[in-house]
Amino acid sequence: MSEQFEPKIIAFVCNWCTYAGADLAGTSRTKYATNVSIIRFPCTGRIDFMLLMKAFENGADGIIVSGCHPNDCHYTSGNFHARRRWIVFRSLLDFMGFDTDRITFSWVSAAEGTKWAGLVDEVTEKIREKGPFTEFKQLDLSTLEKIENDAITK
Amino acid sequence: MIGFKNAIHKLPVPCFVENAAQVEQLIFTPSCQGNLAVYLHKPEVKAAKKVGIVANIATLRSVLQLVSENQLGDIEKTVLTVNAQNELLMFDNMDALEQYVQANFPVISDEDKKLLDQVNAMTRAERWQFWTEQFSACVKCYACRAVCPMCYCSTCTVESNQPQWIKVSSETTGNLEWHTMRAMHLAGRCINCGECGRICPVGIPVHLLTAKMNQDIEAEFGAKTGFSFKSGYALNTFKPGDKEQFIK
Repeated sequence: MSEQFEPKIIAFVCNWCTYAGADLAGTSRTKYATNVSIIRFPCTGRIDFMLLMKAFENGADGIIVSGCHPNDCHYTSGNFHARRRWIVFRSLLDFMGFDTDRITFSWVSAAEGTKWAGLVDEVTEKIREKGPFTEFKQLDLSTLEKIENDAITK
Repeated sequence: MIGFKNAIHKLPVPCFVENAAQVEQLIFTPSCQGNLAVYLHKPEVKAAKKVGIVANIATLRSVLQLVSENQLGDIEKTVLTVNAQNELLMFDNMDALEQYVQANFPVISDEDKKLLDQVNAMTRAERWQFWTEQFSACVKCYACRAVCPMCYCSTCTVESNQPQWIKVSSETTGNLEWHTMRAMHLAGRCINCGECGRICPVGIPVHLLTAKMNQDIEAEFGAKTGFSFKSGYALNTFKPGDKEQFIK
Protein backbone atom coordinates (compact mmCIF):
# COMPACT_ATOMS: atom_id res chain seq x y z
CA MET A 1 0.00 0.00 0.00
CA SER A 2 1.95 2.96 -1.23
CA GLU A 3 -1.01 5.23 -1.85
CA GLN A 4 -2.40 7.09 1.10
CA PHE A 5 -6.04 6.50 1.94
CA GLU A 6 -8.09 9.56 1.02
CA PRO A 7 -11.30 9.61 3.05
CA LYS A 8 -14.53 10.84 1.56
CA ILE A 9 -16.05 13.39 3.89
CA ILE A 10 -19.52 14.82 3.53
CA ALA A 11 -20.31 18.09 5.28
CA PHE A 12 -23.91 19.01 6.02
CA VAL A 13 -23.87 22.73 6.67
CA CYS A 14 -26.37 25.52 7.14
CA ASN A 15 -26.70 28.23 4.55
CA TRP A 16 -26.33 31.18 6.88
CA CYS A 17 -23.27 30.45 9.00
CA THR A 18 -21.07 27.51 8.09
CA TYR A 19 -21.62 27.75 4.34
CA ALA A 20 -20.71 31.41 4.48
CA GLY A 21 -17.76 30.49 6.73
CA ALA A 22 -16.55 27.97 4.16
CA ASP A 23 -17.02 30.60 1.47
CA LEU A 24 -14.90 32.98 3.51
CA ALA A 25 -12.20 30.33 3.81
CA GLY A 26 -12.26 30.10 0.01
CA THR A 27 -12.19 33.83 -0.70
CA SER A 28 -9.42 34.25 1.88
CA ARG A 29 -7.41 31.63 -0.07
CA THR A 30 -7.06 29.47 3.05
CA LYS A 31 -5.68 26.05 2.15
CA TYR A 32 -7.49 23.01 3.51
CA ALA A 33 -8.08 19.34 2.69
CA THR A 34 -9.97 18.65 -0.53
CA ASN A 35 -11.64 15.54 0.85
CA VAL A 36 -14.77 17.35 1.87
CA SER A 37 -17.95 17.69 -0.19
CA ILE A 38 -20.23 20.37 1.16
CA ILE A 39 -24.00 20.06 1.06
CA ARG A 40 -25.88 23.26 1.83
CA PHE A 41 -29.07 23.25 3.86
CA PRO A 42 -31.37 26.13 4.78
CA CYS A 43 -30.74 25.45 8.49
CA THR A 44 -29.27 22.80 10.79
CA GLY A 45 -32.86 22.12 11.84
CA ARG A 46 -33.41 20.78 8.32
CA ILE A 47 -30.61 18.21 8.53
CA ASP A 48 -32.56 14.99 8.95
CA PHE A 49 -30.69 12.15 10.63
CA MET A 50 -31.70 9.88 7.75
CA LEU A 51 -29.52 11.98 5.42
CA LEU A 52 -26.53 11.07 7.58
CA MET A 53 -27.42 7.38 7.40
CA LYS A 54 -27.81 7.64 3.62
CA ALA A 55 -24.43 9.36 3.29
CA PHE A 56 -22.75 6.45 5.09
CA GLU A 57 -24.71 3.96 3.00
CA ASN A 58 -23.50 5.67 -0.17
CA GLY A 59 -19.83 5.52 0.70
CA ALA A 60 -18.99 8.40 3.04
CA ASP A 61 -16.15 7.67 5.45
CA GLY A 62 -16.83 10.61 7.70
CA ILE A 63 -19.43 13.31 8.20
CA ILE A 64 -19.31 16.89 9.41
CA VAL A 65 -22.51 18.53 10.59
CA SER A 66 -22.18 22.22 11.22
CA GLY A 67 -24.27 25.34 11.63
CA CYS A 68 -24.70 28.60 13.48
CA HIS A 69 -23.58 28.97 17.07
CA PRO A 70 -26.37 28.85 19.68
CA ASN A 71 -28.34 32.13 19.69
CA ASP A 72 -27.10 32.95 16.16
CA CYS A 73 -29.66 30.95 14.15
CA HIS A 74 -31.13 32.85 11.23
CA TYR A 75 -34.49 31.28 12.10
CA THR A 76 -34.04 31.94 15.84
CA SER A 77 -34.24 28.37 17.12
CA GLY A 78 -33.41 25.86 14.36
CA ASN A 79 -30.01 25.04 15.81
CA PHE A 80 -31.43 24.59 19.33
CA HIS A 81 -33.88 22.00 18.01
CA ALA A 82 -31.10 20.39 15.98
CA ARG A 83 -28.89 20.22 19.04
CA ARG A 84 -31.50 18.22 20.98
CA ARG A 85 -31.91 15.88 18.04
CA TRP A 86 -28.13 15.37 17.73
CA ILE A 87 -27.81 14.61 21.43
CA VAL A 88 -30.29 11.74 21.21
CA PHE A 89 -29.24 10.61 17.73
CA ARG A 90 -25.60 10.35 18.69
CA SER A 91 -26.51 8.41 21.79
CA LEU A 92 -28.75 6.05 19.79
CA LEU A 93 -25.96 5.34 17.30
CA ASP A 94 -23.57 4.69 20.15
CA PHE A 95 -26.11 2.37 21.78
CA MET A 96 -26.30 0.40 18.53
CA GLY A 97 -22.53 0.14 18.47
CA PHE A 98 -22.01 2.58 15.60
CA ASP A 99 -18.72 4.49 15.68
CA THR A 100 -19.91 8.01 16.54
CA ASP A 101 -16.38 9.40 16.06
CA ARG A 102 -17.09 9.34 12.35
CA ILE A 103 -19.60 12.14 12.76
CA THR A 104 -18.27 15.51 13.87
CA PHE A 105 -20.66 18.17 15.05
CA SER A 106 -19.56 21.75 15.10
CA TRP A 107 -20.62 25.38 15.24
CA VAL A 108 -18.88 27.51 12.63
CA SER A 109 -20.03 31.09 12.09
CA ALA A 110 -19.82 33.12 8.89
CA ALA A 111 -16.72 34.86 10.26
CA GLU A 112 -14.86 31.68 11.16
CA GLY A 113 -13.23 30.75 7.88
CA THR A 114 -10.05 29.65 9.65
CA LYS A 115 -12.00 27.52 12.11
CA TRP A 116 -13.70 25.79 9.15
CA ALA A 117 -10.41 25.09 7.41
CA GLY A 118 -8.93 23.76 10.63
CA LEU A 119 -11.98 21.61 11.29
CA VAL A 120 -11.87 20.01 7.85
CA ASP A 121 -8.15 19.28 8.18
CA GLU A 122 -8.63 17.82 11.63
CA VAL A 123 -11.56 15.59 10.61
CA THR A 124 -9.78 14.43 7.45
CA GLU A 125 -6.75 13.44 9.50
CA LYS A 126 -8.90 11.66 12.09
CA ILE A 127 -10.83 9.67 9.48
CA ARG A 128 -7.62 8.89 7.58
CA GLU A 129 -6.26 7.27 10.73
CA LYS A 130 -9.48 5.36 11.26
CA GLY A 131 -9.47 4.05 7.71
CA PRO A 132 -12.41 3.49 5.37
CA PHE A 133 -15.92 2.99 6.72
CA THR A 134 -16.66 -0.63 5.90
CA GLU A 135 -19.31 -1.63 8.45
CA PHE A 136 -22.28 -1.16 6.13
CA LYS A 137 -20.53 -2.90 3.23
CA GLN A 138 -19.77 -5.87 5.46
CA LEU A 139 -23.42 -6.03 6.48
CA ASP A 140 -24.48 -6.02 2.83
CA LEU A 141 -22.00 -8.81 2.09
CA SER A 142 -23.24 -10.89 5.00
CA THR A 143 -26.81 -10.44 3.75
CA LEU A 144 -25.74 -11.66 0.30
CA GLU A 145 -24.01 -14.65 1.84
CA LYS A 146 -27.14 -15.48 3.78
CA ILE A 147 -29.26 -15.34 0.63
CA GLU A 148 -26.78 -17.55 -1.24
CA ASN A 149 -26.70 -20.09 1.60
CA ASP A 150 -30.48 -20.14 1.73
CA ALA A 151 -30.62 -20.72 -2.01
CA ILE A 152 -28.14 -23.58 -1.77
CA THR A 153 -29.98 -25.34 1.05
CA LYS A 154 -33.21 -25.04 -0.93
CA MET B 1 -66.01 0.54 24.10
CA ILE B 2 -62.61 -1.08 23.50
CA GLY B 3 -61.64 -3.93 25.80
CA PHE B 4 -60.46 -7.52 26.00
CA LYS B 5 -62.37 -10.77 25.61
CA ASN B 6 -61.41 -14.41 25.88
CA ALA B 7 -60.60 -16.14 22.64
CA ILE B 8 -59.41 -19.63 21.75
CA HIS B 9 -57.14 -21.15 24.41
CA LYS B 10 -58.33 -18.46 26.85
CA LEU B 11 -55.91 -15.87 25.48
CA PRO B 12 -57.30 -12.35 25.74
CA VAL B 13 -57.82 -10.57 22.42
CA PRO B 14 -59.03 -7.03 21.70
CA CYS B 15 -62.77 -6.67 21.51
CA PHE B 16 -65.01 -3.81 20.36
CA VAL B 17 -68.31 -3.46 22.17
CA GLU B 18 -70.95 -1.38 20.45
CA ASN B 19 -74.04 -1.98 22.61
CA ALA B 20 -74.99 -2.93 26.16
CA ALA B 21 -75.81 -6.53 25.25
CA GLN B 22 -72.20 -7.21 24.28
CA VAL B 23 -70.70 -5.93 27.52
CA GLU B 24 -70.85 -9.37 29.17
CA GLN B 25 -67.94 -10.68 27.11
CA LEU B 26 -65.46 -8.10 28.43
CA ILE B 27 -62.74 -9.36 30.75
CA PHE B 28 -59.73 -7.81 32.48
CA THR B 29 -57.02 -10.04 33.90
CA PRO B 30 -53.25 -9.69 34.45
CA SER B 31 -52.73 -11.50 31.14
CA CYS B 32 -54.41 -8.62 29.27
CA GLN B 33 -51.07 -7.16 28.22
CA GLY B 34 -51.84 -5.58 24.85
CA ASN B 35 -51.87 -1.81 24.52
CA LEU B 36 -55.38 -0.99 23.32
CA ALA B 37 -54.55 2.71 22.94
CA VAL B 38 -53.35 1.80 19.44
CA TYR B 39 -57.01 1.70 18.36
CA LEU B 40 -57.96 5.08 19.85
CA HIS B 41 -56.87 7.18 16.91
CA LYS B 42 -58.22 4.90 14.18
CA PRO B 43 -60.82 6.73 12.09
CA GLU B 44 -63.40 3.96 12.67
CA VAL B 45 -63.09 4.41 16.42
CA LYS B 46 -63.02 8.19 16.25
CA ALA B 47 -66.25 8.12 14.23
CA ALA B 48 -67.99 6.86 17.39
CA LYS B 49 -67.26 10.21 19.11
CA LYS B 50 -67.78 8.68 22.59
CA VAL B 51 -65.24 5.98 23.35
CA GLY B 52 -64.51 3.93 26.46
CA ILE B 53 -61.29 1.99 26.85
CA VAL B 54 -60.20 -0.73 29.25
CA ALA B 55 -56.67 0.18 30.20
CA ASN B 56 -53.62 -1.44 31.69
CA ILE B 57 -50.61 0.64 32.81
CA ALA B 58 -49.28 1.03 29.29
CA THR B 59 -52.63 2.14 27.92
CA LEU B 60 -53.11 4.72 30.68
CA ARG B 61 -49.79 6.31 29.86
CA SER B 62 -50.40 6.12 26.11
CA VAL B 63 -53.68 7.97 26.56
CA LEU B 64 -51.91 10.76 28.45
CA GLN B 65 -49.22 11.06 25.78
CA LEU B 66 -51.75 10.99 22.92
CA VAL B 67 -53.77 13.74 24.61
CA SER B 68 -50.60 15.79 25.06
CA GLU B 69 -49.92 15.41 21.32
CA ASN B 70 -53.44 16.69 20.57
CA GLN B 71 -54.52 13.42 18.99
CA LEU B 72 -57.67 12.72 20.98
CA GLY B 73 -59.26 16.17 21.18
CA ASP B 74 -62.20 15.25 18.99
CA ILE B 75 -63.51 12.29 21.01
CA GLU B 76 -65.12 12.06 24.40
CA LYS B 77 -63.16 9.40 26.21
CA THR B 78 -63.62 7.38 29.38
CA VAL B 79 -60.76 5.27 30.69
CA LEU B 80 -61.48 2.21 32.83
CA THR B 81 -58.84 0.43 34.85
CA VAL B 82 -58.44 -1.79 37.89
CA ASN B 83 -56.00 -0.75 40.61
CA ALA B 84 -53.74 -2.89 42.80
CA GLN B 85 -56.54 -3.30 45.35
CA ASN B 86 -58.78 -4.78 42.66
CA GLU B 87 -61.10 -1.78 42.55
CA LEU B 88 -62.59 -0.54 39.32
CA LEU B 89 -61.56 3.03 38.54
CA MET B 90 -63.10 5.26 35.91
CA PHE B 91 -61.54 8.45 34.54
CA ASP B 92 -63.12 10.90 32.17
CA ASN B 93 -61.03 13.81 33.31
CA MET B 94 -57.36 13.87 32.35
CA ASP B 95 -56.20 15.66 35.52
CA ALA B 96 -57.39 12.77 37.67
CA LEU B 97 -55.85 10.23 35.31
CA GLU B 98 -52.55 12.10 35.38
CA GLN B 99 -52.49 12.11 39.19
CA TYR B 100 -53.26 8.40 39.34
CA VAL B 101 -50.51 7.50 36.84
CA GLN B 102 -47.92 9.73 38.51
CA ALA B 103 -48.63 8.21 41.90
CA ASN B 104 -48.60 4.60 40.84
CA PHE B 105 -46.25 3.69 38.03
CA PRO B 106 -42.51 3.50 37.33
CA VAL B 107 -40.92 5.01 34.21
CA ILE B 108 -39.69 1.63 32.98
CA SER B 109 -40.36 -1.92 34.12
CA ASP B 110 -37.62 -3.67 36.12
CA GLU B 111 -37.32 -6.35 33.47
CA ASP B 112 -36.65 -3.85 30.66
CA LYS B 113 -34.31 -1.87 32.89
CA LYS B 114 -32.22 -5.01 33.43
CA LEU B 115 -32.01 -5.73 29.70
CA LEU B 116 -31.11 -2.11 29.00
CA ASP B 117 -28.32 -2.19 31.59
CA GLN B 118 -26.99 -5.39 30.05
CA VAL B 119 -26.69 -3.81 26.59
CA ASN B 120 -25.33 -0.57 28.05
CA ALA B 121 -22.60 -2.54 29.83
CA MET B 122 -21.29 -4.10 26.58
CA THR B 123 -18.36 -2.60 24.69
CA ARG B 124 -19.12 -0.74 21.48
CA ALA B 125 -17.96 -3.63 19.28
CA GLU B 126 -20.12 -6.06 21.24
CA ARG B 127 -23.12 -3.79 20.86
CA TRP B 128 -22.58 -3.54 17.10
CA GLN B 129 -22.31 -7.33 16.90
CA PHE B 130 -25.42 -7.77 19.06
CA TRP B 131 -27.64 -5.35 17.15
CA THR B 132 -26.55 -6.27 13.64
CA GLU B 133 -27.16 -9.91 14.45
CA GLN B 134 -30.60 -9.05 15.76
CA PHE B 135 -31.41 -6.78 12.80
CA SER B 136 -30.27 -9.35 10.25
CA ALA B 137 -33.29 -11.43 11.33
CA CYS B 138 -35.77 -8.57 10.78
CA VAL B 139 -38.26 -9.39 8.02
CA LYS B 140 -39.65 -5.84 7.81
CA CYS B 141 -43.17 -6.92 8.67
CA TYR B 142 -43.60 -3.58 10.49
CA ALA B 143 -45.54 -5.26 13.29
CA CYS B 144 -43.58 -2.99 15.67
CA ARG B 145 -45.11 -0.05 13.87
CA ALA B 146 -48.62 -1.49 13.69
CA VAL B 147 -48.75 -2.24 17.41
CA CYS B 148 -47.41 1.14 18.53
CA PRO B 149 -49.99 3.63 19.80
CA MET B 150 -47.61 6.49 19.01
CA CYS B 151 -47.15 5.52 15.34
CA TYR B 152 -50.20 7.30 14.03
CA CYS B 153 -48.92 9.07 10.89
CA SER B 154 -51.25 8.32 8.01
CA THR B 155 -48.25 7.94 5.68
CA CYS B 156 -45.01 6.55 7.08
CA THR B 157 -41.52 7.36 5.83
CA VAL B 158 -40.98 3.69 4.96
CA GLU B 159 -43.77 3.95 2.40
CA SER B 160 -42.08 6.87 0.71
CA ASN B 161 -40.30 5.80 -2.48
CA GLN B 162 -39.24 9.18 -3.81
CA PRO B 163 -36.76 9.27 -2.22
CA GLN B 164 -36.61 5.70 -1.03
CA TRP B 165 -35.44 6.24 2.53
CA ILE B 166 -35.72 2.62 3.57
CA LYS B 167 -35.20 -0.27 1.17
CA VAL B 168 -38.24 -2.47 0.79
CA SER B 169 -36.37 -5.75 0.95
CA SER B 170 -35.05 -7.15 4.17
CA GLU B 171 -31.29 -6.69 4.37
CA THR B 172 -29.29 -5.73 7.42
CA THR B 173 -28.26 -2.17 6.46
CA GLY B 174 -31.82 -1.23 5.55
CA ASN B 175 -33.14 -2.99 8.64
CA LEU B 176 -30.72 -1.01 10.78
CA GLU B 177 -31.88 2.20 9.12
CA TRP B 178 -35.51 1.29 9.69
CA HIS B 179 -34.95 0.63 13.38
CA THR B 180 -32.86 3.80 13.77
CA MET B 181 -35.61 5.80 12.13
CA ARG B 182 -38.35 4.20 14.20
CA ALA B 183 -36.46 4.85 17.43
CA MET B 184 -35.70 8.46 16.45
CA HIS B 185 -39.30 9.20 15.48
CA LEU B 186 -40.42 7.80 18.84
CA ALA B 187 -37.71 9.46 20.91
CA GLY B 188 -39.40 11.40 23.68
CA ARG B 189 -42.81 10.04 22.70
CA CYS B 190 -42.47 6.34 23.49
CA ILE B 191 -44.03 5.40 26.83
CA ASN B 192 -41.99 2.20 27.34
CA CYS B 193 -44.89 -0.22 27.03
CA GLY B 194 -42.58 -2.70 25.29
CA GLU B 195 -45.30 -3.91 22.91
CA CYS B 196 -43.00 -3.59 19.87
CA GLY B 197 -40.49 -6.01 21.38
CA ARG B 198 -43.21 -8.37 22.57
CA ILE B 199 -44.94 -8.50 19.19
CA CYS B 200 -41.78 -9.00 17.08
CA PRO B 201 -42.15 -12.34 15.27
CA VAL B 202 -38.38 -12.89 15.23
CA GLY B 203 -37.82 -11.70 18.80
CA ILE B 204 -35.73 -8.55 18.27
CA PRO B 205 -35.81 -6.49 21.50
CA VAL B 206 -36.64 -3.32 19.53
CA HIS B 207 -38.26 -1.74 22.57
CA LEU B 208 -34.77 -1.33 24.07
CA LEU B 209 -33.92 1.29 21.45
CA THR B 210 -36.82 3.53 22.40
CA ALA B 211 -36.30 2.76 26.09
CA LYS B 212 -32.70 3.95 25.71
CA MET B 213 -33.92 7.14 24.02
CA ASN B 214 -36.29 7.76 26.90
CA GLN B 215 -33.54 7.17 29.43
CA ASP B 216 -31.35 9.76 27.68
CA ILE B 217 -34.11 12.29 27.27
CA GLU B 218 -34.91 12.07 30.95
CA ALA B 219 -31.23 12.39 31.88
CA GLU B 220 -30.42 15.20 29.42
CA PHE B 221 -33.61 17.27 29.32
CA GLY B 222 -35.49 16.09 32.41
CA ALA B 223 -38.51 15.14 30.33
CA LYS B 224 -40.61 12.08 31.16
CA THR B 225 -43.08 10.66 28.69
CA GLY B 226 -46.61 9.49 29.43
CA PHE B 227 -46.93 11.00 32.87
CA SER B 228 -48.72 14.18 31.96
CA PHE B 229 -51.29 15.19 29.37
CA LYS B 230 -49.51 18.51 28.92
CA SER B 231 -45.92 17.30 28.50
CA GLY B 232 -45.83 17.44 24.70
CA TYR B 233 -42.79 16.18 22.82
CA ALA B 234 -39.25 16.65 24.14
CA LEU B 235 -37.65 17.04 20.68
CA ASN B 236 -40.20 19.62 19.61
CA THR B 237 -38.95 22.08 22.15
CA PHE B 238 -35.57 23.15 23.58
CA LYS B 239 -33.85 25.02 26.34
CA PRO B 240 -31.12 27.49 25.38
CA GLY B 241 -29.03 25.89 28.12
CA ASP B 242 -29.21 22.27 26.85
CA LYS B 243 -25.84 20.70 27.62
CA GLU B 244 -23.65 18.55 25.41
CA GLN B 245 -19.95 17.72 25.30
CA PHE B 246 -19.42 16.79 21.67
CA ILE B 247 -20.08 19.88 19.54
CA LYS B 248 -16.81 21.58 18.66
